Amino acid sequence: MTEGSELRLRVNGTWQDVRATPDDTLLDVLRRELGLFSCRETCGIGLCGACTVSRDGKAISSCLVLALAAVEWNITTAEGLVQAGQLHPVQQAFVDAQAFQCSFCTPGFVMSLAAMLAEPPEQRSVEAALSGHLCRCGSYGQITEAVRQIMADNDMHQEG
Amino acid sequence: MIGQSAQVSDAFERVTGRLGYVINHEPPGTLHLALVRSDVPHAEIRSVSTAVAQRCRGVVLVLTGEDLKGIGIRPRFGPVYRDQPVLAIDRVRYVGEPVAVVAATDARLARAAAAEIEVEYHELPAVFHPKDAIAPDAVILHEQTDEQGPKFADIILQGRKGNVCNMFTLRHGEGLDGFRYADRIFENEFVTPPVQHVSMEPHAAVAVFESNRLTVTTCTQTPYAVRDALAYMFDMPASRVRVIVPPVGGGFGGKTYAKVEPVAALVARYTGRPAKIVLSREEEFATNSKHQSIIRLRTGVTSDGLLVARQVDALFNAGAYSDISPRLIKNGGYGAIGPYRIPHVHVDSRAIFTNLPSSGAFRGYGVAQGAWAYESQMNIIAAGLGIDPVELRRRNLLGEGDSFATGETLHDVHFREVFDDALSLFDTDTDTDAAPPEHDYIKRGRGCAVIIKSTITPSTSNATMKVNVDGSVQVLTSTVEMGQGSHTALAQIAAEALGIPYHDLQMVGPDTDVTPYDLTTSASRSTAAMGEAVRDAVAQVRQQLVTHAAKQLKIAPDDVEMRDGVLRQRGTEGTLSLGQVVSGSKLGTMTATGSFVSEGGLDAATGQGIASHHWHQGAVAAEVDVDIRTGKVRVTRLRACAYAGNVVNPVNARMQIVGSIAFGLSQALFEQIIYDNGHVANQNLSEYALAGRVDMPADLQISLMENSETTEIHGLGETCLPPVSPAIANAIADATGIRCLQLPMTAERIINLAAEQ
Repeated sequence: MTEGSELRLRVNGTWQDVRATPDDTLLDVLRRELGLFSCRETCGIGLCGACTVSRDGKAISSCLVLALAAVEWNITTAEGLVQAGQLHPVQQAFVDAQAFQCSFCTPGFVMSLAAMLAEPPEQRSVEAALSGHLCRCGSYGQITEAVRQIMADNDMHQEG
Repeated sequence: MIGQSAQVSDAFERVTGRLGYVINHEPPGTLHLALVRSDVPHAEIRSVSTAVAQRCRGVVLVLTGEDLKGIGIRPRFGPVYRDQPVLAIDRVRYVGEPVAVVAATDARLARAAAAEIEVEYHELPAVFHPKDAIAPDAVILHEQTDEQGPKFADIILQGRKGNVCNMFTLRHGEGLDGFRYADRIFENEFVTPPVQHVSMEPHAAVAVFESNRLTVTTCTQTPYAVRDALAYMFDMPASRVRVIVPPVGGGFGGKTYAKVEPVAALVARYTGRPAKIVLSREEEFATNSKHQSIIRLRTGVTSDGLLVARQVDALFNAGAYSDISPRLIKNGGYGAIGPYRIPHVHVDSRAIFTNLPSSGAFRGYGVAQGAWAYESQMNIIAAGLGIDPVELRRRNLLGEGDSFATGETLHDVHFREVFDDALSLFDTDTDTDAAPPEHDYIKRGRGCAVIIKSTITPSTSNATMKVNVDGSVQVLTSTVEMGQGSHTALAQIAAEALGIPYHDLQMVGPDTDVTPYDLTTSASRSTAAMGEAVRDAVAQVRQQLVTHAAKQLKIAPDDVEMRDGVLRQRGTEGTLSLGQVVSGSKLGTMTATGSFVSEGGLDAATGQGIASHHWHQGAVAAEVDVDIRTGKVRVTRLRACAYAGNVVNPVNARMQIVGSIAFGLSQALFEQIIYDNGHVANQNLSEYALAGRVDMPADLQISLMENSETTEIHGLGETCLPPVSPAIANAIADATGIRCLQLPMTAERIINLAAEQ
């Protein structure tokens, strides 16, 4: 039985009742209570990017925020980007470019790039989106390739 | 199939975050573990007070080293010497050594209770530097030689005395007497710091003791070695210990041999409940690291630039326990000689105990330390003789049929081509590249390096192929998939050999109850060694299929043809599918196990013999910009070339090289664990600097040198890592005249060296 009090979070489009203690991070609760294992702790101090989730469309480190603070938010994880079995375009681009090796960091990269794509075009910065993410396997070349594909596809849709 | 970039079969899980790493596993009733770790580097344990912790909410069990005495288990582990206690017994030897374990219903409660445990120490003198540790008056970490574990054919145990854990010696030609043929002798000391693997996934394990059987799900690179270590610890037959390895989130050597599995198994054994441990990043730094090295390199040359004699005196900092240091110093010893024809060689390489966390396997395996020394010194020699450093290397590089310093004759030798390929970075200057630096305080320079690296020899891999009655095919191996793409490559090899589409084939394992023995997923060996085992398994399965198809068709086996996954009588139209043949055979499944076993070994006194089944050959050329105001180094362009034999999956192969460059560049410029009286001062990413995407060269060229005349596969996981640091050092020296003898080449170090000039 998990300690703490009951709390309602909106995650991946669904209201979820979870239990959380005051010192639980959002990362703790997403993993322990909801089994959303795409968010992972590598550093626990907001530097590696592996725990990235979307808060109302913005990428945040879920290890740095308390679960109790997240009650008003609309939270999306990499699991929640999949719609009707279809990968999000960023996920598809990562598959097409094979932009991963051990893949522990991958959902974090995906979440930041998806959040960037949701921004108005003039505010998008690939550099900013990628800057908070570490890939120790060094898949950077293929990640850059995936980003190129994402941006090219996006420009095409904009023009279309 | 081979030669195509087949897609990873579980790509969907990888991008959606559904891949089943160990940290996701949690059977019902799982206890979570927290370790109490030593905060002193060397001490006798006077007492451990656990009374408060025992009463804390959620706590089910508290154990200390005292509890491990006389309970019928063997509480120490280690792949070579069993010298590392699961929990410190009577004495701690490094800061971070586990002293007690708390098992509670929740990870937070376990940590809270662990904080209530008080340990009283009687501190002993501590020693941190290998040179201090071999001084005559140094405190000794291990008074007696510890119990030896299973014998490894390639590990020679000798020279253990005081704080010397193990020694490797090599004597070739006239050894030190060979220096009489030299016109000049160059002598330098090269240093590399301890660095951390920082795999994104930390060490984690879940242990379950049920029906007198132990099952451990863990992210190890060596499932069978972990199984055997646990079986020995609990005095159980290996048949009752099962190790399962789900996909691993990066290993880089740091997950070889037992690490956190013993303590999880211990708690599971005591409580009868599943026990789970996940290390924090800070704990990772106290678990394992790359060996700090101090390599004194003395090289005799003729005035026309031929190397005639080399003496290697290498000290590797083993830390407090042996781990795999007894083997690594061998690779680091002959790995400091280089890919050169040197008739007279004398190597002494030692692993030294100190009061620091244990060092272990790390991508590059001692060779990166050795290459840092000899490839830096090649440029020092070139400058001393007034010979171009490229030319100096060309005059000395090993060629086909030459002998290495181990006395073995080398075949499939491509050092010259690999080296020239890397150097082609400098022949094709585009307009941008040719543009001089924008400011006069930016100095540009070029450097190169070329290396030789062995793979673990002798070694064994087995693979089982299983054809089911519906015609579906499984390949069962104990090769660990940790991002390197081995499962994809092995599936491609198997699918091609059987003649079926790659996606129709399922990889299984590792699971020591199900998948056959493999030595290790390391040493860049899996695609090559396990690939051979897979080919052998397929050949046997094909033979069975043909035999049974012949029976069913009532023809001679020689008249059966098998192509594109179906069997038929030669020259006829009608076919039998794999499933029909299996079904008709009445065997239920058709199964065969193939093997790869390589031979080798070195003489204890002379280091002569067979060190490697085949040799990894890699080279790097780099261009750097150095800001002489700040000392900041930027690698602007880099070309890496590896001899690759037959490439199975080009995209994955390329990513292994890019990953090696990222690793090498990070260690060249940034990485070092800083110890303050044995305490890690930089134990997370806030202080431990790593190269990121923006540090990668804007112009990064990867070249896989293939050989169309061979089906032999060459490992690529490490080949281009060792040359990175010396190539960058040589480029910095070319740009500024500053010669770094010590890694990392931080801005601070460059500026300080510039001030000394």
